[in-house]
Amino acid sequence: MNDEDLGRGLISSAEWHKRSVRWGLGGAQKLLLVALVVGGLGPILWLAKGAITPTIDTITNPMAFFPHGAAWSNLREAWTTVHVGRYFWNTVVLAFGSWASQIIVATTGGFALSVLRPKYASIINGLLLATLFVPLVVLLVPLYIEIVHPPLIHHSFIDSYWAVWLPAGASAFNVVLVKRFFDNLPREIFEAARIDGAGPFRLFSAIVLPMSKPILGVVSIFAVLASWKDFLWPLLVLTNPNEQPLSVRLPSIQSQTSLGVFLAAMFIACLVPIAGFLVFQRSFLRGSGLGGALKG
Amino acid sequence: MKSTRVATTVAAASLLALSAGLVASSAAGSTGSGKTVTISVVSLIPGSTSAAVQQFNDQVAEFEKANPTIKVKPVEYQWTAPTFAAKLAAGTLPTVFEVPFTDARSLGDNGQLADITSYVKKLPYFSKYNPAVLAEGTDSKGQIVALPKGAYAQALHYNRDLFKEAGLDPNKPPTTWGQVRADAKQITQQTGKPGYVEMAKDDNTAGWILTTLVYALGGRMETGIGTKAKATLDNPQTIQALNMLKAMRWTDNSMGADFDYGWSDINQAFAAGTVGMYISGSDVYTNLVQASNIDPSIYGIAPIPLANNKNAGVLGGGTLAGVRPDANAATKAAAVKWIDYYYEQPLISKTQAVRNAQTLAENKQPVGVPALPIFNKAQYDLANTWIKPYINVPLAQMKPFLTGIFKQTLIPEPEASTQSVYHALDAVVEAVLTNKNTNVVQMLQQANATAQTAIEQGS
Amino acid sequence: MTWVRGGGLTTLLFLVPLLFAFGAFSWYPIVRTVTMSLQHTNLVQPATWVGFQNFSRVWHDPLFPVAVRNTAYFAGLALVFGYPIPLAAAVLMSEVRKRRGIYSALAYLPVVIPPVVAVLLWKTFYDASTTGAFNTILGWIHLGPYPWLQSQQWAMPSLVLESTWANAGGTVIIYLAALTSVRTELYEAAAVDGAGVWRKVWNVTLPQMRGILLVTMILQIIGTAQVFLEPYLFTSGGPANATLTVLLLIYNYAFGNSLGGDYGMATALSLMLAGFLTVFSLIYLRATRSWSTE
Repeated sequence: MNDEDLGRGLISSAEWHKRSVRWGLGGAQKLLLVALVVGGLGPILWLAKGAITPTIDTITNPMAFFPHGAAWSNLREAWTTVHVGRYFWNTVVLAFGSWASQIIVATTGGFALSVLRPKYASIINGLLLATLFVPLVVLLVPLYIEIVHPPLIHHSFIDSYWAVWLPAGASAFNVVLVKRFFDNLPREIFEAARIDGAGPFRLFSAIVLPMSKPILGVVSIFAVLASWKDFLWPLLVLTNPNEQPLSVRLPSIQSQTSLGVFLAAMFIACLVPIAGFLVFQRSFLRGSGLGGALKG
Repeated sequence: MKSTRVATTVAAASLLALSAGLVASSAAGSTGSGKTVTISVVSLIPGSTSAAVQQFNDQVAEFEKANPTIKVKPVEYQWTAPTFAAKLAAGTLPTVFEVPFTDARSLGDNGQLADITSYVKKLPYFSKYNPAVLAEGTDSKGQIVALPKGAYAQALHYNRDLFKEAGLDPNKPPTTWGQVRADAKQITQQTGKPGYVEMAKDDNTAGWILTTLVYALGGRMETGIGTKAKATLDNPQTIQALNMLKAMRWTDNSMGADFDYGWSDINQAFAAGTVGMYISGSDVYTNLVQASNIDPSIYGIAPIPLANNKNAGVLGGGTLAGVRPDANAATKAAAVKWIDYYYEQPLISKTQAVRNAQTLAENKQPVGVPALPIFNKAQYDLANTWIKPYINVPLAQMKPFLTGIFKQTLIPEPEASTQSVYHALDAVVEAVLTNKNTNVVQMLQQANATAQTAIEQGS
Repeated sequence: MTWVRGGGLTTLLFLVPLLFAFGAFSWYPIVRTVTMSLQHTNLVQPATWVGFQNFSRVWHDPLFPVAVRNTAYFAGLALVFGYPIPLAAAVLMSEVRKRRGIYSALAYLPVVIPPVVAVLLWKTFYDASTTGAFNTILGWIHLGPYPWLQSQQWAMPSLVLESTWANAGGTVIIYLAALTSVRTELYEAAAVDGAGVWRKVWNVTLPQMRGILLVTMILQIIGTAQVFLEPYLFTSGGPANATLTVLLLIYNYAFGNSLGGDYGMATALSLMLAGFLTVFSLIYLRATRSWSTE
């Protein structure tokens, strides 16, 4: 998907030179850019501004630009007094565990189904595909009950990070994505490795994984992002406020925090996703497109 | 060879002892290989100031010093319906936890609170308890499952500064509902801020405040008790209360533009000085200080105006402290000792009351917030004289409430399926405040049917 | 033994994480949803079988039709706003000659913001007083102040507006990717036939994107039918149940009562929703099969 291809699509070069097209379409595009900046970037910029504006100014005059100077103390207060730092750390830990869980399940499962290909693979593939179509609502209540009263083990997993990490691995989307990628790897390399005497473990760790960096990158980014955004599930299973991630904690502390500090806390919560997006833009956008290709 | 075998045996034995010790410990409370019992107790609302946390820890240290065989682990927790149900189901509530009056009996009947009758009866001041309050912590079989830690009555909180700015006398808060309406209108007209606001969130607080208004007008939400109770949500006083809200909202425009206040947000708005009056429990001053840093000079509190009706009264409620049902005898004894020390002693023993007040005052926490007696009134007055030197709340500004509340009849919350009754009323309040043309009678009838179903199912 | 030697054990070993994760946290819960919907469970006493009683109680709950209606309203509004706009934007963006990356980045930025932050941020925008952010801006052109979340009419559209803002970017990127698969010869052929820009879009672009357009639509419907976060955080289902959706009702059944939830009713309603979505999807796939194949 490079720029060259697109320029030669809908509108031919000849048409671009027609004034009506250039003004009309070009104008529409400029308008779109303005809309994207105001609408897409605007609210986020307002949040950044609000994070360092004194509460009273934000309440009385939300659209003013620092009428009485900035209040950088909001950020410090959010990090320390409101303990946003702690919740930030919780979010990081949860994201890491969920990421690991997803990578382990998707790579080992995808490898087995795609490369090792046992006879019963079709059953598992079928189950995975079926799972893909089950609406998430179906899982909510029984999964919660299972965490509260696990069968066989007489110890609830409420308030334990395992209640978030382990279920995260059960993402059919990830497995299908990774499996498809493995399917497209050249078989000759596997054959060559087998002839050289490599067993499945070596094949996995030394051949397949290193070749899978692109797809693992995409899966990782989406795993971390999904974990960072997760709300309902951590809300249900993590009842101890000191263990909760940012997304669960922010609504609860709103009524005990002045608006300026609260906006600062929200801004801090956005930093990692935004920074990650700016750095890994390509993978994000490619992964989204891939998701579309998958659904198509 | 011999040494290896000895070593192995020793290792095995110690491993066995270790695992035996581990098995004996459970979240409920443990009796270790020594004689110490560990209990976990609910401490403060998460997000409390570090000073508040410090004073709690000071009290824990003092308790542990006086009871060397008991170790106390504080657990921060704020009661909300979903998280309480989750912890209850998972069995992860602390050993000692708090429940509102409305839930204790059902929890006791369902076996979700420990029977602590024998331990409680041994307390020296057991006979001094206000029987009505003690009954809130007693289940249908007569077993005591929780001890009262505090009782409150609903009150009218008002902003003295806004009163002054509007030309009203802050020492003469409204005493009739007509005056409430008139004062609210005046505040809005003179200051531009809403004169009266009400909780209208869908988390049962809307129904709770509406019930308060209805009690103040002389109505009741239920007759009878238990699953045989009959819902009477659509009584004439409820209609009267809703019409009053309707008038203030749509005719006078004195209720502002926000109609989704919950318990915490309305406190926050009040502390920020943006609203004139609201109704909530008489003990909210603590939250106003701890969560929102209120400027004490703006705070005023008055008794809820009661209508000229012999059934009119003020809604009262409270909180109890209970013990996990799976606690063993040693744990229950330790738990009751903690409840005695932390919750009851400051009300019944001079030395403890003074020490408690001192610790609170040193950490700049409010001392002397209006409360209702859980023992008899004489004891209550006595306890107040003990802490008098440490009182740091603006007591003079609270005079209207402190003098007026004891002339009012206290009415307990609806007994059967309380939270479901409130929940059914939430939508009605929200509708009246957001839609000028709400059919109040029809909505109340629907709410009544919903509440009746919940009552019959015991939920 | 040959199985083991043939690597069967190793394969199984590789499958352990997948089988454990899905077995424990996907397939077992799905089965449990079905069984729990036929039982009365409250985690205190042992569960009892009650047949279809839970389904009947859900059906007769006065809040059930309200939730269904609201959910349909949300999904419908989201389709009207959130479906054509990303498409138009993607078509425009695909023809941008320079620095298309900025367009994509700006469009996708709201998608990476954690939904909780987005909702809480928009909640401050939606403050109904004259000093609320949106009311202030609209005040500059002498409009408003509007009640936004405080009105039974305005609440749901307010939710949809924020939801569209937060999610449209993802759809734009998917469309952009799909637009590259439109064969350029078709455009050239249409140009030869004398087609202008609009005709080309209508006759070439859209039909070529049929597949992805249809899939995106059904996925959006399935997604919005399960909306929970916006009604929960913005309005708690209010005012007066104007934004009560099916997922919120399920949540209230299961987690709304401090004395313990009615998990039977919650799972029954979950199954009813899932069943409806499945049937709907099948009908949809049937009806659109004739369109999507050339």
